[in-house]
Amino acid sequence: MGTKKLNTTVEVITLKLKSSDFGNERIFIFLGPFGSGKTELSINFALWRKKLNKKVSIADLDIISPYFRVRDHIDFLSKKDITVIAPPKEFMHADLPIIPPKIMGYITNTDYELIMDIGGENDGAMVLGMLKDHLSEFGYTCFAVLNTRRPFYRNEDSILELLDRLQSSAKIKINYLINNTNIGKETTVDLIEEGEDLLKKVSEKSGIPIAFSVIPDFLDSEILIGSEKKFFRIKRFFSNDQIDQEV
Amino acid sequence: MSEKLMVKGTEAIAEAAIRAGCRNYFGYPITPQSELAEYMSRRLPQVGGTFLQAESEVAAVNMVYGAASTGKRVMTSTSSPGFSLMQEGISYIAAAQLPCVFVNVVRGGPGLGDIQPAQSDYFQATKGGGHGDYRLIVLAPSTLQEAVELTYLAFDLADEYRNPALILADGLMGQMMEPVEFPEFRDLKTLPKHEWALTGCNEREPNKVTSFNIDPYELEKMNKVYQEKYLRIIKKEKRWENYMTEDAEYLFVAYGTMARIIKTVVRKAREEGIKAGLFRPITLWPYPYEELHELSEKVGFVLTVEMSAGQMIEDVRLAVSGRTKVFFYGRTAGVIPTPNEVLEELKKKIGMVKV
Repeated sequence: MGTKKLNTTVEVITLKLKSSDFGNERIFIFLGPFGSGKTELSINFALWRKKLNKKVSIADLDIISPYFRVRDHIDFLSKKDITVIAPPKEFMHADLPIIPPKIMGYITNTDYELIMDIGGENDGAMVLGMLKDHLSEFGYTCFAVLNTRRPFYRNEDSILELLDRLQSSAKIKINYLINNTNIGKETTVDLIEEGEDLLKKVSEKSGIPIAFSVIPDFLDSEILIGSEKKFFRIKRFFSNDQIDQEV
Repeated sequence: MSEKLMVKGTEAIAEAAIRAGCRNYFGYPITPQSELAEYMSRRLPQVGGTFLQAESEVAAVNMVYGAASTGKRVMTSTSSPGFSLMQEGISYIAAAQLPCVFVNVVRGGPGLGDIQPAQSDYFQATKGGGHGDYRLIVLAPSTLQEAVELTYLAFDLADEYRNPALILADGLMGQMMEPVEFPEFRDLKTLPKHEWALTGCNEREPNKVTSFNIDPYELEKMNKVYQEKYLRIIKKEKRWENYMTEDAEYLFVAYGTMARIIKTVVRKAREEGIKAGLFRPITLWPYPYEELHELSEKVGFVLTVEMSAGQMIEDVRLAVSGRTKVFFYGRTAGVIPTPNEVLEELKKKIGMVKV
C-alpha cells in the first residue's frame, strides 16, 4: 500500500499506464455491449492521448443509440484541441445512423492519432466492417469494453460468445479487454476486482489480455497504489450528478 | 433481493416486468424506449415467454387485448405518438376490464416530438386518452429503483382491479443508467387465478370477455361496475411522497424526473435559508388531492414544475381549491429545467408574493 495522495482531477487520469502499453499503433477502437462505457472511455482515452501527442482525433461512430454520445461533448473536446469527427451539426439530434465520411481521412492521415467510439453490440460493430481494409493497412488496437454488472454478460460463456460475435461483425480482431465493471456512484474497489476476476477467466480462455481496469474519479484509489495491476482513472462525463446534486 | 446491476431505465422496467410474472410482450419499437423491446426480445425466450414485434402500435395493443383476455400477465411499451395510436385499444381493454400493463416513455411533443424527455402526455394518461368513461391506474417513478418497484406493483394492481395500468416515464427515466436491485422472480403458480379468463371451456360454461352490451340499460350497468371500481381504487391506491414539507413555507409539486430535480432545488433553497418542500404524486391517477390540499393550506404558495406547458397544474389547482396561490414553471419540447433555473424561479415568485 502506498501513501501518496492521488490528484483526482481529470489532469491525472492514468495509473501505471505508459504510452507504449498497447503497441505502437495510432488508431484505438472501443467496442462492446450497450451501456458498457465505451463512450466514457473513448473520451477519457482521447484526453490521455492528447497529453502524449499533438494531434488527436475522436470519431463518434455510434449508429445505434441517439443518447449519450461523443458528439454531446463536442464543445469540451474542441476546447481541449481534440478533433471531433461526428455527423454534421444539423443532424446532431437526428435518430439516424450517420457515418461521417471524414473518418476515412483520419484513418489514413498518419499525423493524427484516432480514437474510434463504436455503437453497442455487433450491430454497432458492423460499422468497422466497411473500414476493415483501411484499418488493416494502417494498423489499430481494438479494445472490448466490459461491465460485468450489466445484464446479459455476467458470466464467462456469455462474454466469450459476445467477443466472437463482435469480432465476426466488426471483421477485425479484438486485442484487449477492458474491465469497466461499475454500478455508477456506488462502485467500490471490491466490485471492480470482482469484474477483474471474471475477465481473467475470459482472458485465459480467449487468449485476449486485459488492458486495465477502470476506476471512477470519485473513488479513493490509494488502495490501488501499491498494486502491480494497471488502472485507468476516468472523469465521468455521463453521470446523473447534475440531477441529484448534493448541497 | 439480488446484487445490484447497472441498468438503463428501459431495461429496469423490462426485467421488473419479467420478475413480476409477465411472459408476454407485444410492441413496436420507438425511441426513447426501443431498448425495452430489445431487452424483452432477448430475455423472454430465456424464461419461456413470448416476444412478438407487431406491425404497428395499433396491432400491438390489440394483441395485448387478446393475450390479457386469457388472464396471463402481458405488457407493451411505447413512446408518445405510439401511445396515441394505442388509445382505441386501451379504451376497449378498460371496458372489457382486462389486467395488463402499458409503458409510455414520453417524448417532447406534440406531433412527432423529439426523442428528449418530456411530461406532456399527462392529460392523455390521466384524463382518458381514448374514448369513454374509463380510467387507467397511472404510476410515475422518479428513480430507476422506483421504476422497478412500480412496474412490479402495476401488474398486481392490474390483476386486483381487472384494470389496465400505465407506467408514465420520460426519456430521461428511459435512458439514464443507475444501480438497481431486482426483486425475486414471482412464482407463476402464485399469480391470481382469474375465473373470468378465456382458457378453454371443455368442462365449464364458456366465459365471455366483451366491452359492449347492445342493451343500453345493460351497458349502463357495466359502466356502473367500472365507476364503483374506480371509487375503490381512489380510496385505496393513492400514493405520494412528502419531501421536507414539515416546516415548508413554499411548496413545489412535481412528479417523475422533474420531482427528482426539484429535490435538488429544495436542498439548494434550504441551504440559502428558504424553507421549500416538495409534494410528489406517485400515482397520477388516482391523484392524491386531499393530501395535497392539506399541505397547501400551510404554505405561502404552491409552485408546480413540469416538463410541459402546464398539465398536472390543473389537478394541483383542483387540490388546492383556492386556499393559496398556484404558480407554474415548465419547459417544453424535451428541454429539462436545471436546478438553478428553478431556484431562480422560486425566488422570483417569493419576491412577487411578498410585494
